Amino acid sequence: MNSAIELSGLGWRADRAFSLRDISLRVPVGSIYGFLGPNGSGKTTTIRMCLGMMKPDRGEIRVLGLDVPRDLPRILAKVGYVPERPHVYPALTVAEQVRYHASFFKPWDEGWAKELMERLGLDPTRKISRMSKGETGKLLLLLALSQRPSLLVLDEPTDGLDPVVRRDVLTAVLDYVGETNASVLISSHLVHELERICDWVGVMDDGALIAELPMQVFKNGIKRIKVTGAPVEPTDAPFTILSRDRANGTPATETWVVRGWQDSMRAWFESSGAVLRDIVDLDLEDGFVELLRSSRPKTPYRS
Amino acid sequence: MYQPMLFLHWKQIRAALLPLVVAAFALPLLSVQGLGSLGSFPAEPIGAYQFMMNSGWWAPVFPTLAAVIGVTLALSSWNWDHQLNHVYALSLPVPRWRYAALKMGAGVVLAFVPALAFWGGAHLAAASVALPPGLHAYPNALAVRFLFSVLVSYAVLFAMAAGTVRTTLVLVTALFVFMLVGGSANEFLGRHFEYFQRVNVVEAFFQTLVSRNGPFEVFSGSWLLIDV
Repeated sequence: MNSAIELSGLGWRADRAFSLRDISLRVPVGSIYGFLGPNGSGKTTTIRMCLGMMKPDRGEIRVLGLDVPRDLPRILAKVGYVPERPHVYPALTVAEQVRYHASFFKPWDEGWAKELMERLGLDPTRKISRMSKGETGKLLLLLALSQRPSLLVLDEPTDGLDPVVRRDVLTAVLDYVGETNASVLISSHLVHELERICDWVGVMDDGALIAELPMQVFKNGIKRIKVTGAPVEPTDAPFTILSRDRANGTPATETWVVRGWQDSMRAWFESSGAVLRDIVDLDLEDGFVELLRSSRPKTPYRS
Repeated sequence: MYQPMLFLHWKQIRAALLPLVVAAFALPLLSVQGLGSLGSFPAEPIGAYQFMMNSGWWAPVFPTLAAVIGVTLALSSWNWDHQLNHVYALSLPVPRWRYAALKMGAGVVLAFVPALAFWGGAHLAAASVALPPGLHAYPNALAVRFLFSVLVSYAVLFAMAAGTVRTTLVLVTALFVFMLVGGSANEFLGRHFEYFQRVNVVEAFFQTLVSRNGPFEVFSGSWLLIDV
């Protein structure tokens, strides 16, 4: 088994406004896969299909080498899931919810659950309905980690949490992964958060997976460059031009955002009669924004 | 797995169940009030006919209470899962049929709590009255009937509540439409077909449900604690 999650040709139509279109995605075993995309792009729907909560119209889903939905109980026994919104029983106390959850998972790690409860500052006697969003988020993570999963599926686990809680949550995840080499699929629209921790990144937009590549390639491959005397239609460029704008005040100079950049590609500018003036590294967030811009219907050329 | 599920259901329903348990215990006692206790037999002993008339007034109250308890149990079974969009339940590593069976089983066990209270109340009521000659108390039979009624209403509502709110609404609406339109349709058809002058379809439908061998037969028939 090379993939913790493998989707091929996944399709689903909710209504005229939204559908998932031909999603093929692969989360390598042992990787931390950042699932990026703006709100409403289809991340949660895709995750729910991976966990058998929704049925796709077409396509195949394999999780931990097993088939969804055929082997669902076996899959779910090895998956720790933190949903987008807190889905635990509000009338229970923390200890009661932990006990209830533990009864469904055979490899439940009682000792670690207690340790995590202390580490995350959770009061076992506290009623869930009286807990803050941050505390509920911590509880959900405790439940997911204490079942010793081979795969963690975290759907916006830090959304709406304060920076301190956010760091606690991510640290607990990283500690677990460091210890067990579990695979992680973590979805977020907070790009900078995933930049530090992910090995792979998949970007969703409007129901389609528009990019999937190793994080290093994604980060290093997206550059903002300044070009003078660029050809009008650079059809043979060895990289993908995500956006192209005229630089202010200098009509002959343009700013390009390119994907798939390598240093050896400088030679292309000379051969095409253009001059490469400057290369700037983009952080993940800028790269993400440019990627989304390029995948959406083209706006008129800006000058 | 079953024990935590039972605990969960208990936590969900305990506030609503407590008054129903009290009512189940108290109703049999109330039904024999004024019929003459063993200690203070009335100066004018009540005759068997009068005795049955008085206690018979309570007969429809018992199945009503049983139905209310069954409905409360069923709705509370799924209430939290519906509120959480079933996301948590669906993330648990159990087949869905087993999850539903665990939930159903928890409700069945909880149904015994008001039934036991009813049984206790019925025994106490039977022991506290001086029965006229020819009459007998049937606390066990009545308690068993009460338990079955709770379980029947619980099972029906459990099945309905297990679906989506939309499914439940469709079913309930269909029933109401049938009741409303069925009467008028029957009247219209009666003008053209003699058969519909003799048979009211709506009435016949409900009669079938509660008649002998019907699914709700347990709600009809004798609900008397004291009978001949």
